[in-house]
Amino acid sequence: MNALTTTKLTKHFAGTKALDELCLEFEHRKITGLIGPNGSGKTTLINIISNFLQADSGEYTIHEDAKLNSDLSQTNQPKFSRTFQNVRLFDQMTVLDNIILVLNDKNFTNLFVNDNRLEKKATNILKKIGLRESAHKLAGELSYGQRKLLEIGRVLASNSQLILLDEPFAGLFPQMIETVKKHINTLKLHGKTVILIEHNIQLIRELCDRVTVLNCGKSLASGETTTTLSQPEVLGAYLGK
Amino acid sequence: MFAQILTNSLIAGSVYAIMAISFSLVYSSTKFFNMAHGMIAVVGGYLVLTLTKLLGLGAIPSIILGIISTGLCGVIIHFIVFEPLKKRQSSSTTLLVASLGVMIIIQAIISILFTSQFKTLGANYNLGNIYTIASATFTEINLVTIISALSIFAFLIIIFKYTRFGKIVRALNDSEEVATIVGIDTKKTIRYLIFIGSAIAGVAGILTGYDTGLEPTMGMRLLLKGIVATIIGGTNSLGGALIGAYFLASVENFGIWKLSGEWKDAIALGLLIIFLVFRPRGIIRK
Amino acid sequence: MEYLIHIAIIISIYSILSLGLNLILGYTGQLSLTHAAFFGIGAYAIAIGETKFHLNFFLALLIGIVVAGLLAIIIGIFLGRFRRDIYALASLGTNVILFSIFLNWTNLTRGPLGIPGIRRPEIFGFIFQSNFSFLLLCAFFSYLTYTILHRLLKTPFGLTLKAIREDEDVLSSFGYKVKTIKTTAFVISAIFTAIAGRLLASYITFIDPSTFDFNESIYFLSVVIIGGLADLRGSILGTIILVILPEALRFLGLPSDLAANLRQILYGLALIMMILFRPQGFLGKYKM
Repeated sequence: MNALTTTKLTKHFAGTKALDELCLEFEHRKITGLIGPNGSGKTTLINIISNFLQADSGEYTIHEDAKLNSDLSQTNQPKFSRTFQNVRLFDQMTVLDNIILVLNDKNFTNLFVNDNRLEKKATNILKKIGLRESAHKLAGELSYGQRKLLEIGRVLASNSQLILLDEPFAGLFPQMIETVKKHINTLKLHGKTVILIEHNIQLIRELCDRVTVLNCGKSLASGETTTTLSQPEVLGAYLGK
Repeated sequence: MFAQILTNSLIAGSVYAIMAISFSLVYSSTKFFNMAHGMIAVVGGYLVLTLTKLLGLGAIPSIILGIISTGLCGVIIHFIVFEPLKKRQSSSTTLLVASLGVMIIIQAIISILFTSQFKTLGANYNLGNIYTIASATFTEINLVTIISALSIFAFLIIIFKYTRFGKIVRALNDSEEVATIVGIDTKKTIRYLIFIGSAIAGVAGILTGYDTGLEPTMGMRLLLKGIVATIIGGTNSLGGALIGAYFLASVENFGIWKLSGEWKDAIALGLLIIFLVFRPRGIIRK
Repeated sequence: MEYLIHIAIIISIYSILSLGLNLILGYTGQLSLTHAAFFGIGAYAIAIGETKFHLNFFLALLIGIVVAGLLAIIIGIFLGRFRRDIYALASLGTNVILFSIFLNWTNLTRGPLGIPGIRRPEIFGFIFQSNFSFLLLCAFFSYLTYTILHRLLKTPFGLTLKAIREDEDVLSSFGYKVKTIKTTAFVISAIFTAIAGRLLASYITFIDPSTFDFNESIYFLSVVIIGGLADLRGSILGTIILVILPEALRFLGLPSDLAANLRQILYGLALIMMILFRPQGFLGKYKM
């Protein structure tokens, strides 16, 4: 069973088809790159899977890996965790609070109970991403690179198996890129399934086990990274890029 | 009975239409709900009151002066309060809250200057003739109201379709950003639109003043009817505002046939809620 | 001295309302223009409960809380489907509709005639007749409101409110039941507002619909914004300033009509000034 399958997923935007009866499969515990020219539907796909958009028709299913020990102490756990192309943090809240919000028990009645362990857990995560000193700064005060790191921090804090990353490396300088690469590999080590939207083919080669290529809302090619990337149709789509 | 209700709907609908059209103009250029807009209409009425009763000017010059001054009022308020806020990228919600402040200030000033008693315009001018067609009665003012609404509508349609100014406005509506890039002076255009919108609102206030009279709190009512009509008709279309206004007036007047007259406001807001829930884009399907 | 006690009572009552409104406006970021209606529901619940059914204050209080709560659930769920400006419009709509009911359901509310003869509260035989004792009662409720809200805001629930204010869709994607949270905040805020209404009714012993129209909602909004969004102390400060300042006008010996209008101008100006020059209000933690 695959981590994520889509069946004939379609989405229109003002007359153009962003997704055109898209049928895809993503394997468990692999990092799959999602690439394609601008406007090919990558972010739209992620938005639909993460419920930020409704598809016009078609379906998708997220299967959780039974082999993985999921933390059953929390119900209402979303099946995915994601980052955004245009970084959506809670800017007027502290860096620490941004992480704590992911760690909280989402069950409504438990919202009225304070869990003191969470602050420590959150601080540990901030340590991992190197934002420990900024814990009490407002998220809006961080630099661009730090903001992207905080989004990664939120992903690390979540228990979800499916991770959706929308251009996490965009605008980062080389040192930070290495840090983010390291965290993405850690995710894979913990058995998560990662879908990574990225334009930098070098990064795709370094990180991804598999790659899916979209073009005009349709799937152009899909499979193991090196073989897929050398297919003529894929090269053709990118030469026009 | 039916004919009278229809006539009443036509009359009320015309006032609402003028408010809705003016509101639509202002909203589409400033992109926020200006809650003070209703008070602008009231200002128009009271200006004419001052000019005729206190300064003794004739009705026609007072009305013309009144309409122009109301337009100016609207622009001045926009310039003092809303332009600075827009400059610092304030959200439409912030602008809405600011407009609430403006609304209560204007209302209080009018109350101080004119007291909260009902004042009528043109009392010495004895209501004019009363007409009856097919067992429905209406006064001369009512006729003028209906004609005004339709004329204003036609006038605006012509301007927006056939003049250069109209083209600029349509470009602005499409995208303010692109319009600026293409070299359109968006600030000036917006000010013109607000002038026109406020002036038209003034017409509504003046007509109401001649028909049923003026009082400071009527601004809220006029505004609400204008907003409801605009939402029913769709915020982007003048024709929609017109349709929405007559539709609202009809539902109100047919509604109070069975209920008593005091529930009019509740009916209007009820209609608003229904449309917000089921048809937020308005009656016209794109 | 009596005058000071009177001012203190007014401040206590309106502070309960401001604190409640701040919860939904400042912390959760929902521009509610319907709170005057809940103020009225609280007042009418006491008035009708006492004059028609001869219930004592505290029983009527309880029933009033239930009524306000149920209504708030319905209205809260309804309003929760809208965002930002449309939320404001829709809440304006509900205020107007409820006001119409106060005005026109004359069988229950006596319409514009209002309901006179509301008695002071009585508990175990003690009647809060003197203004000083009534002040203590109001101050107690005010303190209670502050403490409850303060505690509430320290819980994860309080954190989610602020997150809703920022980006409710992202919060939703974390797995929170955002709709339920928003409605709960609205209900809590409405209940406190209703309690304030109850106290006011018992204090001035006569109520009529005009105290609960849309303009009042705007005043309440002003107090919270000026005092400071998302800070409980701000609401207290805002209430104190905006109650005392207009009272100062009285000392100028102005006729009450003029004073009322000047008060309105004051509120409007203060609101606009704040938004233009200090959008977080005096003590606020959040900029509009």
